[in-house]
Amino acid sequence: MSNVITVGMADYKTSKTPDILMTAGLGSCIGICIHDPVEKVGGMAHIMLPSSNGNPGANQAKYADTAIELLIQDILRLGAHKIRLRAKIAGGAQMFSFPGKTNVLKIGDRNAEAVEAELKRFGIPLLVTDVGGSFGRTIHFDVGTGDLKVRTINHGEKVI
Amino acid sequence: MEISQIQLDALREIGNIGSGHAATALSALLQRRIDMSVPEVWAVPFENVESVIGQLDTPQAVVYVKVEGDAHGKAVFFFPLESAEILVQALFGTDQQMDLFADEMVQSALKEVGNIMVSSFLMALTSFSGIPLQPSVPALAVDMAGAILDAILLEDGSLDDSVLFIDTQLSGIPQIEGQFIFLPNEGSLKKLLGALGV
Repeated sequence: MSNVITVGMADYKTSKTPDILMTAGLGSCIGICIHDPVEKVGGMAHIMLPSSNGNPGANQAKYADTAIELLIQDILRLGAHKIRLRAKIAGGAQMFSFPGKTNVLKIGDRNAEAVEAELKRFGIPLLVTDVGGSFGRTIHFDVGTGDLKVRTINHGEKVI
Repeated sequence: MEISQIQLDALREIGNIGSGHAATALSALLQRRIDMSVPEVWAVPFENVESVIGQLDTPQAVVYVKVEGDAHGKAVFFFPLESAEILVQALFGTDQQMDLFADEMVQSALKEVGNIMVSSFLMALTSFSGIPLQPSVPALAVDMAGAILDAILLEDGSLDDSVLFIDTQLSGIPQIEGQFIFLPNEGSLKKLLGALGV
């Protein structure tokens, strides 16, 4: 029996096949999904901001630069091999546009950049991304197959 | 910051007076009776925001107004899609179907509703606390409630560990439901409580 495990905002979870990890309503946040396709274990983090600036406070799962390390450690504890880990990410939208605001400060884009840099730092290949746009996403990640289902309200549904 | 019981009561009273004025403004606009719940004050960690706004991927029409002036905060209205449609139909005096996602007239009507309600909320708050507050230009998004809320929370690019919500449910007859949330930022919270002498 496969369970659907919910990952909240500023939260991360790991599990093994046949479980599905789910996070609902990603806006400018990013869902980071990492798994080992041979060991069939994986995890998902729902980060909110790019950087803790060295002061993550009580919840390290909130930031790209602290959450990904935690997520990887926990996946390795389930028996994964670091060399086989691979990632998919989704989210990083801009839900509102305010007239006169420059694009430089878009938090969704900054989140995506920070996540990509962090995955690179750990040498984990990023297979596919579904980021940007101006719409929310709900994602389901099959930790066994690595299939990532992305559902939106008005922009369809796909598996990446 | 730690919030005492007296301060919680004061915040609930802020919510009560402000939201009462906002509900009255909506009622006058629609010529319908609008009821509101007793406001709740929540300090919620991010993992649990679902407990305040419900299912994070339910589509809702959300009007967001930044609060500026001597104190800063965020005012947010959540309307379920059916309620948003009924609202606009009542404003336009029609029962035609409304395209909330793309029709600019419909969207600007919803923003105006938010604008009027937040202005009333802030006027009440200003006369209550003596702190001058102004609404910014309203923004609208029609999408997953959680996705919109995260964008609002993250707009400034920084966060505390939990969010303080002053939360009021609105209901109108017939079939209008909505939720009004006021999020004072931390400095403003101190200022507001200080002005009330707690």
